[in-house]
Amino acid sequence: MSDFIDKLKETFVTDDRWLYLVKGLGNTLIITFSAALIGIVLGFLVAMIRSTHDKTGKLKVGNFICRIYLTVIRGTPMVVQLMIMYFVIFATLNSRYKILVAILSFGINSGAYVAEIVRSGIMSIDNGQFEAGSSLGLSYSKTMLYIILPQAFKNVLPALANEVIVLLKETSVAGYIGMEDLTKGGDIIRAQTYQAFMPLLAVAAIYLIMVIILTSLVGKLERRLAKNEKR
Amino acid sequence: MKRDNNAPTREETEKAFTDELIVVSDLHKSFGDLHILKGISTTVRQGEKVVIIGPSGSGKSTFLRCLNLLERPTSGSIKLDGVDLLGFNEKGVNFMRQSMGMVFQHFNLFPHLTIRKNITLAPVKLGILSEEEANSRADDLLEKVGLYDKCDAYPGQLSGGQKQRIAIARALAMNPEVMLFDEPTSALDPEMVGEVLELMKQLAEAGMTMIVVTHEMGFAKEVASRVMFMDDGQILEEAPPDKFFSDPKNDRTKLFLSKVLV
Repeated sequence: MSDFIDKLKETFVTDDRWLYLVKGLGNTLIITFSAALIGIVLGFLVAMIRSTHDKTGKLKVGNFICRIYLTVIRGTPMVVQLMIMYFVIFATLNSRYKILVAILSFGINSGAYVAEIVRSGIMSIDNGQFEAGSSLGLSYSKTMLYIILPQAFKNVLPALANEVIVLLKETSVAGYIGMEDLTKGGDIIRAQTYQAFMPLLAVAAIYLIMVIILTSLVGKLERRLAKNEKR
Repeated sequence: MKRDNNAPTREETEKAFTDELIVVSDLHKSFGDLHILKGISTTVRQGEKVVIIGPSGSGKSTFLRCLNLLERPTSGSIKLDGVDLLGFNEKGVNFMRQSMGMVFQHFNLFPHLTIRKNITLAPVKLGILSEEEANSRADDLLEKVGLYDKCDAYPGQLSGGQKQRIAIARALAMNPEVMLFDEPTSALDPEMVGEVLELMKQLAEAGMTMIVVTHEMGFAKEVASRVMFMDDGQILEEAPPDKFFSDPKNDRTKLFLSKVLV
């Protein structure tokens, strides 16, 4: 037992190595939440364009662009997209801003998945809701905004939460562009101490705790939204 | 040219026709190869209660849905107050729909909003009423349909009959000129049909122009000013209810009536 504690001390306390994890976690959270925000905004936008096209036949060009976006982003690995962004598109950018590149890459990637989630939510709403809105004289966009989206959002909340969880864990590849996120932090400790077990286990535990907290928060939100429709 | 003194002036002509609220002429609607409406022509006057009956698949609902352009007719014309609806752009269509209330078979209430919000959403978001005005109108309407105590409930907590009464109140909140009913009682349990028909009767007595697609022959007999029989995308017979039910002219009407009036 004391052996274990010694090892723990040696791995994390000596030279204040635990700070790598704290700093890494900070970056992971910043990237996750900023990217999730970009992804959700982008995803809703793309979903609206796609479902408007499906329902009314308008926005042909917009729909075409959205489909290319979805195909490319969903058809290539996240790591590759990240590296293309950092080493090709933003190659001349000062490396101080690499966190912005990471946020943008993860946001654009997440947006593609959010878009299809939200679109499925919009398409799952009974057409009668659209008709009821129209029959009252509401325009398509007002019907969408006040009638369809609130219901669709509620329906897709579990899937959206899932996407954020995936995103949180996916940010672990940020190390590929030298981003010091949580995983990279653990890796630095491993390199310094020649110990793999402790740092990797700690990193895994921290991800797990984050996901558990996230899940419970979403559960609370879901229950609050569901209150409205109890039968 | 010498003007004939007996001929009505243009103003007089127009005045004589102003009670023609909806004029439909030669309306066709196809879904792909399926020809649903095959030339519908009719006129609905102010205050008239037209009840459309006919076998399922005869195009009655499609006809009703064409009137407020939920379905876009393939050809023909629909005039509301003398203005051709098919010439409208999207904005015009939306504006026109404000004056045509519609009640659906499956209610189509907004499940995420309270009953009061269901009623006030459209007038408020369209800028017709302020939030307060809309609320007080909603309260009046809820009083009228006898569901004031449900104002803060959600649609999921109501029975089918209550939902349909709310749907009627929601349509009335826009102060429509005409109300369209698309089989308003077909999805209801039998014991709830009465309350909805009763409300529709009150509405009729208050002078509302109504076009009702229904299978309720009793309602047609009692409330209609004209009964319209449709089959195979055409109007086969139109007559006041007493004449229509006692002395139908068309063979298919007779056959239909012999089946439904047992």
